[in-house]
Amino acid sequence: MVKGKNEKEDIEIDAITSKGVEFGYGEQPVLFDITFTIKKEEFVAITGPNGSGKTTLLKLILGILQPRKGEIRVMGYSTKERDKIMNLIGFMPQKEHISSNFPILVRDVVMLGLGARKGIMKPTGKADEEEGIQAIKSVGLDEEIWMEKFAELSGGQQQRVLLARALAIKPEILLLDEPFNGVDIPSQNKILDLISDLRKKGVTVLLVVHNVNPLLHHIDKIMLLKNRIVAFGKPDEVLTDKNLISAYGASIPIIYCEEGYAHPVYSDIHG
Amino acid sequence: MPDMEISEVLVQPYMLRAIAGIILIAINASVAGSFTIFRNVSFLVAGASHSALAGAALFILLGVYGFPANPLIGALLFAIATAFVAGYASKEETNTAIGISFAMSMSLAILFISMIREYAAKVWSLLIGDLFLLTYEDLYLITFVTFLSLMIALLFYKAFLFISFDSEGATAFGLNTRRYNYLLLSLIAISAVMLLKGVGAILVFAMLVAPAAASNELASNLRDVFIYAFIIALVSGFVGIAISFFFEVSPGAIASLLATTIYFFSLLARRFRGD
Ligand SMILES: Nc1ncnc2c1ncn2[C@@H]1O[C@H](COP(=O)(O)OP(=O)(O)O)[C@@H](O)[C@H]1O
Ligand SMILES: [Mg+2]
Repeated sequence: MVKGKNEKEDIEIDAITSKGVEFGYGEQPVLFDITFTIKKEEFVAITGPNGSGKTTLLKLILGILQPRKGEIRVMGYSTKERDKIMNLIGFMPQKEHISSNFPILVRDVVMLGLGARKGIMKPTGKADEEEGIQAIKSVGLDEEIWMEKFAELSGGQQQRVLLARALAIKPEILLLDEPFNGVDIPSQNKILDLISDLRKKGVTVLLVVHNVNPLLHHIDKIMLLKNRIVAFGKPDEVLTDKNLISAYGASIPIIYCEEGYAHPVYSDIHG
Repeated sequence: MPDMEISEVLVQPYMLRAIAGIILIAINASVAGSFTIFRNVSFLVAGASHSALAGAALFILLGVYGFPANPLIGALLFAIATAFVAGYASKEETNTAIGISFAMSMSLAILFISMIREYAAKVWSLLIGDLFLLTYEDLYLITFVTFLSLMIALLFYKAFLFISFDSEGATAFGLNTRRYNYLLLSLIAISAVMLLKGVGAILVFAMLVAPAAASNELASNLRDVFIYAFIIALVSGFVGIAISFFFEVSPGAIASLLATTIYFFSLLARRFRGD
């Protein structure tokens, strides 16, 4: 009986809620009027033109940046309580922000994540390494890759290693920033399959992309961002001519696939 | 030197001090040098070593005006200031910020030198450096500081690696990236000062950065980067001393020439291996 009650409470807490959030690096706000709710186990794509504040929003959710107005809550905790929310969120940064011009191995990359979570000054042991290898296998990579140089992997493999690093800490929420940049279609599909599996295990996923097309058949909702939320909801409700013009400042043709999904054709906006 | 046996020369105090100097330089080239490559801030080494020169000049000036102070302390302060400027600047502005503090330090150095012409040689000696002029006092200070840097690098190894690889990820995983960045940049700047007296501001870059840059091309894992950098710096230094024994040339210059040459060969080696 008690258990049933807890479960009910669990369901009532949303994964991420944002109320009236505003943020800017300088005077000018980069994000404003950001109000939304993401429920547990939802798979949400955040999209919008370059510089629209997508990465900034992820950093606000992570508590790396603090809003100057409003509040964001992650699993009920304010993002001000960083040590509480840190253990709930796995993050995969934009690959372009990573520098691997040195022989860092896949092992090092994954163990840095596990080590940071454990306390960066504490030594990691065999058990941690076992966990790291499990994470690598869970993203469909071969165990052999463990001792290879990160820089020598393909773009898709690198993304999956970064995903493994995020998953190794067993997060409840997963934030991915442009995971498909420089990734070929087969790897992209592998990553998507993996994310679908994770959702079945109860993970909430937020994914930033500049092209939503590969995701349309997988996601629950789209958030269209242009410094504010232009639209947030089911893909077909969001991907309308009016919304796309307001986000991109130009009309984007929409084609409908056999399954009836609306696909924006961005070719002119994204080179 | 010619009328002495090699074995005799080898036990001369100035020679022993030079050898100790080389070993200490190699430790710095391994630890700070490798992190300079990982963190991609080689320009900081050039900036810090030249700022250090201005700091040393200021402290020599203070000494002339009756406030005796060890010039190396002034050098350390100025080098660390440069590290903080670099850390404060945003990623895109880092090199410009270092360049400007480099330029400002050189202006100050020349200004100070012009105020103490009689002692200018003392400052110039730090520009050129001399392994054979290392004093015991220098060595004690360099040993102490090098040991301290080594301890800090060991203690914060993972944090330094994480922020070098992926500072955004490091922050997301809960590291205080800003603080570790200042600490790492200061560590690199301090190492640059440790090489100042031995090889001179002009050649600090060659001895601190080139060995690690070469080993970064050759090594197949992180540990080897540190090991090869140490070996390249050590061998370059010893060859420098050996050649200067037969010819009247600067050992620091030979060592730097060798270290930089090894870097270019390592680039070639890597191309030939095809990766
Ligand atoms: N650290 C920063 N300092 C100052 N401005 C920044 C910083 N990071 C991003 N910006 C600016 O904020 C805006 C939004 O950036 P970002 O969130 O990275 O956009 P997106 O990920 O959608 O491309 C851009 O105009 C960008 O130039
Ligand atoms: Mg971005």
